[in-house]
Amino acid sequence: MMSERICITGAGVVSSLGVGMAEFERALYAGASGAGQSEILRAVMGDGATACEVRDFNPQPWLGNKGIRVLDRTARLLCVAARLALDEAQAGASSSESNVESGLVCGTMFGSLHSITSFDWSGLEDGPNLVNPMDFPNTVINSAAGQAAIKFKMGGVNSTICAAQASGLYALHYAAEFLRLGRAKLLLAGGVEELSPEAWLGFRKNNWLSDTGSAQPFAEEASGMLLGEGAVMLSLQCGDAASFASTGKPLAEIVGFGAAQDAHSANGFDASASGATEAIALALESAGASADQIACVIANANGSRGGDWMELRALRNVFGARLTQIPICAPKAALGDTLGAGGAFAALVGALALQKQCLPPTPGGSGRVGLLLSSESQTIRGEYALVNAFSCDGNNAAIVLRRCA
Amino acid sequence: MKRVVISGLGLITPVGIGWGEAWASLLAGRSGIAPVESFDTSAFPVHIGAEVKRFDSLAFLKKQTPDSMGRSSQFAIAAARLALDDSHLDLPRMNLRRVGVSMGTTSGEPQFVERYNDIRKAEGLDAIPGEMLPKYPCNVIPTHIAMEFALRGPSLMIPTACAAGNYAIGYGFDLIRSGRVDAMLAGGADAFSRITYMGFARLGAIAKERCQPFDKNRKGMVPGEGAAVLVLEEAEAAQARGAKIYAEVLGYGISCDAHHMTAAHPQGEGAVRAMASALRDSGVSIDAVDYISAHGTGTPTNDRAESIAVKSLFGERAKRLPVSSIKSMIGHTMGAASAIEAAACALALDTGMLPPTINYEEPDPDCDLDYVPNVARQTNPRVVLNNAYAFGGNNASLCLAKFEAGVRPSAPSAGE
Repeated sequence: MMSERICITGAGVVSSLGVGMAEFERALYAGASGAGQSEILRAVMGDGATACEVRDFNPQPWLGNKGIRVLDRTARLLCVAARLALDEAQAGASSSESNVESGLVCGTMFGSLHSITSFDWSGLEDGPNLVNPMDFPNTVINSAAGQAAIKFKMGGVNSTICAAQASGLYALHYAAEFLRLGRAKLLLAGGVEELSPEAWLGFRKNNWLSDTGSAQPFAEEASGMLLGEGAVMLSLQCGDAASFASTGKPLAEIVGFGAAQDAHSANGFDASASGATEAIALALESAGASADQIACVIANANGSRGGDWMELRALRNVFGARLTQIPICAPKAALGDTLGAGGAFAALVGALALQKQCLPPTPGGSGRVGLLLSSESQTIRGEYALVNAFSCDGNNAAIVLRRCA
Repeated sequence: MKRVVISGLGLITPVGIGWGEAWASLLAGRSGIAPVESFDTSAFPVHIGAEVKRFDSLAFLKKQTPDSMGRSSQFAIAAARLALDDSHLDLPRMNLRRVGVSMGTTSGEPQFVERYNDIRKAEGLDAIPGEMLPKYPCNVIPTHIAMEFALRGPSLMIPTACAAGNYAIGYGFDLIRSGRVDAMLAGGADAFSRITYMGFARLGAIAKERCQPFDKNRKGMVPGEGAAVLVLEEAEAAQARGAKIYAEVLGYGISCDAHHMTAAHPQGEGAVRAMASALRDSGVSIDAVDYISAHGTGTPTNDRAESIAVKSLFGERAKRLPVSSIKSMIGHTMGAASAIEAAACALALDTGMLPPTINYEEPDPDCDLDYVPNVARQTNPRVVLNNAYAFGGNNASLCLAKFEAGVRPSAPSAGE
């Protein structure tokens, strides 16, 4: 179905495991976890709040001093990830690429919720005539993507996508379609989510957060998720093998996408897993790959029973008895649930796994419910990886990646 | 590539609920702008807005309750129900895995942020109920539509602010064109918000008395609220079931100014690129365009930049090309705006009538086009462009045409 190849030619990452691909990769394969006492939450909520925060985040080395002040945390995370991705993508790219053919597609769930809440709070406290007008642009959900476009002079498509925890995968698909239709030459796509006190408070009040200080995907005893934050921008380009000859081997190719909505609840998973199963089946079908060809799965599981058990059921539906032999990684054990960025983080993990033919560890994740989930790295053999992102509002997305030989 | 048509319209606007009422108001030049009732504006320097009055969500919500969602979702479901009823789609006989939802918004459900702060101020953080959070993120708007009508295809929100409706319709068009789905509910929704109102007021962007796009004495925009949902359907399927076809979606274009967060590029560079790429995507020439539905907010800078952009793309022809802004009547309905305007474009193609720009009194030398001043006009357009621009420099233009069966003379090519 897909004649033109959509390749991931670079990646920029800002995460609780580190900033930049080298740091991220090292920590990921070492089985590190980004969880810890959160400084952001301490300031508002007092001590004792655990989250996967990007600690001591300082955008200055990547963005310089100019214009940083007007960027909120979401925009800073995104701009640094975009900078890093552009640096990699442009290392071997031809200089003829004009900026109107480059753009950015960003998934997010809560976006700049903290900026929005603070702006409204300032109006309540000080009156509407004393709010800082410079803060208003940060209250639109697409502000981070717009700021990144200004910073890096990307005049082509600029889109923000919200499909809850499935946002990152929707964003990758959206960008891939634009490249395939010839509407852009180079797109940065992925997601961003900042750790906001407002979202954290809501998750806590709904008892969705782990009470053990760690997230344990697919564990019988799991008590909930950890919130995470970060940004991933994958640089995507379209072409045949020859067009990548000069730029070095791409990380991986995006070959399939599937999405299905459960239409079941705005706030809960469908235990039948019909939408999740359908999304995976559609992704395999559009990739022209069979379930037997999948070498590894990057799971959505985050330590929440409803979502994890739904995913388990979907995987059993798709892979049957073979499921117990497929290496699985659940990156949310290390990164927390980065919500709108989670799908993009998972895609990056899948691309790395295919490239290295080695799946990173799932911290604390050995021997669960008969899955090949391990706290050690696992060797994989094969061409295809399945990446899942299922959201608590019933939106299910999956992509299939292929190794770039 | 499949062809895509608009076969149903659902509108929730400050000048009417349902396309019949709204379209009659727009052609009559009726304004929906009035003193704000949603919240107390006494501390603000401005007091007018374009709110949806007499909206009864219970008339539209059959499976869900109003208290389970915010006002934007209620608008969205109402518009979706009106659009589905209008389309006469037989949903139970369709493969609902191949029917999806694509919506746009500026603020999603901002009233939950406002309530959060109100409770925080009155009683403290501990008093904030947990049930508010899951109702906030803007993905719930398409999800609520999907739940109401059991639509199981792709479902997403494209929150690209005031251009979001065009983005969402464009994405729905892409999914049908490529054969991934059979039909999409696509549009936009935004509820009146004190956050938005406060921001625009603080920027000095809100007009005190009325909205006068392109007039020499225009004083600004007027925030509004509403929703529009369009039923997008694969053309052959629509014809086969004998559907009423309002218009065909030919293509769209997106660009980014990459210039300033809130101000349009002074020469409208990004706007030109969005219009040009919409025409390229559609396979039509600039000579074919018969009407432009302007973004036309009524701010001095937007209207000037947009006029310059139209002139720079259309050259001499610009003077003979009608351009109007229904924001003069319904205000700026934010993420719903370009979806409502797309519906108005479809109705213009279907009825042959162009809605006017009202409150137009004195020509501005910087804005010297035909703005269809004050009175609706019959021109029987065949191809129209719908412009939308947003914070973040996000621009989107959508190209619609009168539907003609058979082979279209210049079908779009994927490589363009």
